[in-house]
Amino acid sequence: MKKTFQHTQGYTVVDNWMQSKTFTPFSFQQNTWEKYAAGYSGMVVAPTGFGKTFSVFLAVLIDFMNAPDTYKDGLKLLWITPLRSLAKDLGKAMQEAIDEIGLDWTVEVRNGDTDPKQKAKQSKQMPDVLLVTPESLHLLLAQKGREKIFKSLRCVSVDEWHELLGSKRGVMVELALAYLKAKNKKLRIWGITATIGNLDEALEVLIPHDNKKTKIVAKEKKKIEVLSVFPDQVEVLPWAGHLGGKLVDQVVPIILKSKSTIVFTNTRGQSEAWYQLLLDAYPDFAGQIAIHHSSIDGKLRQWIEESLSAGKLKAVVSTSSLDLGVDFKPVDTVIQIGSSKGVARFMQRAGRSGHSPFEVSTIYAVPTHSLELIEVAALKEAVKKQVIESREPVVQTFDVLVQFLITLALGGGFYENEIFPVIKKTFVFSEITEEEWQWCIAFITVGGKIGQNYEEYHKVMQHEDGLLIVENRRIAMLHRMNVGVIVSDAMLKVKFISGGYIGMMEEYFISRMKPGDKFILAGRVLEMIRIKEMTAYVRSSSGKAITPSWLGGRLPLTSQLSQFLREKLAAANKPGATEKELNFLHPLFARQKEISHIPADDEFLVELIKTKEGYHLFMYPFEGRLIHEVMSALMAFRISKLYPISFSMAMNDYGFELFSDTEIKLDDEQLQQILSPDNLIQDVVNSINATEMAKRKFRDIAVISGMVVQTFPGAQKTNKSLQSSAGIIFNVLETHDADNLLLRQAYTEVFNQQLEEQRLTAAFQRIKKSKIIFKFATGFTPLSFPIKVDSLRQSLSSEDLASRIQKLQTSSLKPAKKK
Amino acid sequence: MKIIEQQISFGNEELLLTNQRAIFWQQQKTLILSDLHLGKAAHFRKHGIALPSQVSVHDLQRLQQLLLHFKAEQVIIVGDLLHAGANKEVNLLKDFIATFPYIHFTLVKGNHDKFPDYVLQDMGIHTICSHLNIGAIHFSHQHTNQNTFSITGHIHPGVSLQFPDKKRLRLPCYVVAPQQIILPAFSLFTGLDTRAVQSNVICYAFYEEGIFKIS
Repeated sequence: MKKTFQHTQGYTVVDNWMQSKTFTPFSFQQNTWEKYAAGYSGMVVAPTGFGKTFSVFLAVLIDFMNAPDTYKDGLKLLWITPLRSLAKDLGKAMQEAIDEIGLDWTVEVRNGDTDPKQKAKQSKQMPDVLLVTPESLHLLLAQKGREKIFKSLRCVSVDEWHELLGSKRGVMVELALAYLKAKNKKLRIWGITATIGNLDEALEVLIPHDNKKTKIVAKEKKKIEVLSVFPDQVEVLPWAGHLGGKLVDQVVPIILKSKSTIVFTNTRGQSEAWYQLLLDAYPDFAGQIAIHHSSIDGKLRQWIEESLSAGKLKAVVSTSSLDLGVDFKPVDTVIQIGSSKGVARFMQRAGRSGHSPFEVSTIYAVPTHSLELIEVAALKEAVKKQVIESREPVVQTFDVLVQFLITLALGGGFYENEIFPVIKKTFVFSEITEEEWQWCIAFITVGGKIGQNYEEYHKVMQHEDGLLIVENRRIAMLHRMNVGVIVSDAMLKVKFISGGYIGMMEEYFISRMKPGDKFILAGRVLEMIRIKEMTAYVRSSSGKAITPSWLGGRLPLTSQLSQFLREKLAAANKPGATEKELNFLHPLFARQKEISHIPADDEFLVELIKTKEGYHLFMYPFEGRLIHEVMSALMAFRISKLYPISFSMAMNDYGFELFSDTEIKLDDEQLQQILSPDNLIQDVVNSINATEMAKRKFRDIAVISGMVVQTFPGAQKTNKSLQSSAGIIFNVLETHDADNLLLRQAYTEVFNQQLEEQRLTAAFQRIKKSKIIFKFATGFTPLSFPIKVDSLRQSLSSEDLASRIQKLQTSSLKPAKKK
Repeated sequence: MKIIEQQISFGNEELLLTNQRAIFWQQQKTLILSDLHLGKAAHFRKHGIALPSQVSVHDLQRLQQLLLHFKAEQVIIVGDLLHAGANKEVNLLKDFIATFPYIHFTLVKGNHDKFPDYVLQDMGIHTICSHLNIGAIHFSHQHTNQNTFSITGHIHPGVSLQFPDKKRLRLPCYVVAPQQIILPAFSLFTGLDTRAVQSNVICYAFYEEGIFKIS
């Protein structure tokens, strides 16, 4: 550190304050302070628990104390966090530091939970530091006096940038930053992030426009200890879900010997099940453990979080709902049930224990079937090598752009030629063409490229001088209510008939329940009484009940983890495997080897198994469920080009199955042919129903772009009608406005996200280089069994609608059970 | 546009259900349809949702083709002819009716039809009523508990079909009970209600290439 900086008044004050708290600043914090003082923007990379907040926050205080005269009244530091729950505690900690240091700054929070009175007060007189979410920042930009609000702003800090990057919420941040930066060239932008695979890109996305930027990486590393929980014996034919319950007796002692434990599960259904399992296995846990997931009443969740902080709970069973958020100091142990499916998530979750800097985070991995032990071995390796997933930034999200343009048109309006260069400078829209921009302007002003087809559309008016502005109050109100990019399923409140709120449940689940049916929520058995006005009324009950299976709970394996997985599997074949997990699985590997084969690093395994039911073709790319969905459809399509045959498909994260009751005949050459990377994308397009997939993607796009209104004043629309209206709008645009950019975006999203074009191509290139091992068996192998018994089964048909319906007619036609 | 027919008996009458969302009653030379929701897209546009006007134009084109195909002499619209307030798409109707001077247009008013009668008459609609009887058949927008053969609209009925691979498909349909027919919505820019369909009825579902019975 430069002597001159060390001797500044600001630094001295902060240093003294740190010493009074017996903190020693980490070098990354000092670096940040110094770089900030030198006028830099930048990004701080540090593990949680090492005082990331104080790097940027104190930098601003030091800068202020060194030159207080240059600071004007009003908002000076804007702090963006992805989570509302983080803001409150963060704000408290900042205010405390400010008070102790002896400044008169005020820190306030503004988000969806903030009292309207408080918001009105803020709009008149901004605090010195304001903590916001990306959504509340956009709402500030939609206010008429926005210039005034941000006139004194010196720094915007984006906390947990890795959480925002790669999502449309990240795009909201990019757009807001670009706008603020354009209004105030001297504005400094600082990101704070955990380690991810593409840090340089993350910096580029956050600060695309400034040459004076830097990346500060903490040398400190969080120590993570990964411990596997082994079942008593190996199941040679592993069965997912089967094992979980058996291991509860080993999980109880881990909880008992720890001060406080978070038990992470992957789905809400699994968390409900484990909460019950733990209570059954050790009834004394009653009152000492809790369950936490996104369907549970917000107030109850807050109470759970506070109790966890205060050390009043022995354990909390949770989903990703506790991945992020404030530190829970008493938590010294984390248990992960099942695979975490990714390195970053695993490390994030591990980091929830042993939170203070030099403590070790301990995480126990509890497999739900024995093959998941290979994943644990793979995770250990990835953690050791610090190979963490990238967060791929999204680009050309026109739905977010048109939303933002209307936001700008609300807050006093904007001029086209002034904003276009601002948008063009962002990472997300760096490739936007003049023509695409014109389309967006047409979309918000006249409705579409061919204006006369959109008569009477006046969302944004254009004044004579070119000012684009929203004048209609109803449109303004509708827009404010819809700012944001999180499109959730319609939820019903679940309430006791006697009063008292339990939580929220997706409409599609509740609507299938009949009065008298029982289901589990928040660890309770509830009996359905009736549904009235988006509320399900229930009473307490007991006995057998349905654990809801929530959609979207199944995450696919990341490509980083699948690479390690293939390596570990190959290693299992070699003598002298040292890892406990691989040793333990020896009987399973032996069996696999005996009746089939264990693929080495440069091999690709295909199994053809004949059973009483028919013919099963298994392939093991280890690329995750989503990719396997596409690959299996492609394989079915390519085989059916060789000879007529129809398949049903099943898949998990390791591989997939094509099943047919007629013989699957393939020679080595044909196998090579169907696994070829030639004409890959063309064949994929022919093998899947891209329109149907795009239609599903369009649902979010329609809401974000304002084509479907999520919440009407006074009346909550149900999700069913939202889905179908997005579907109807999709059909209308397909027929009458095929060039619509939002429609094209839906297709692009299918290719980039659903089909993961790049990863798919890479997988086929890898297979091409591999030696294909084709094995025949008459019984299921350890690798094939879990795909067979426990996976999402579906078949993608390439037949057209008419012939499918004709086929249906020949079988007995009955309307499906009403859903 | 393909017009595919399915003949059914209803009371003592023979009716032709079509896959184009309208029934033709040969004996009366009458085309029966419901829920045209004209002006809906324009209504959406007025509220800041950009939908092209071809949606409404397209509905009227389909109606025109049906009228020419069947050489109809009367049209009965069983309610919800117009979606909301006045707009330019609603004006299309006046021009449309004017091109068929020899056809008698009847509107059985629905819950969306809020225009005063004189405005509707000015558009060229000859008969405006809240319900109507022709022969043994009673027409009303929503079902009333009358002990007669009735044809109604309003609910936009649809069915959800499940294919052997568990995929679902929702299609619009006619609901045919011994004494009641519920018409599908004529406009393509409408949603479906697959829940309101009772289990003890026959449905005729349809798509661009055909119409088929589900019981």
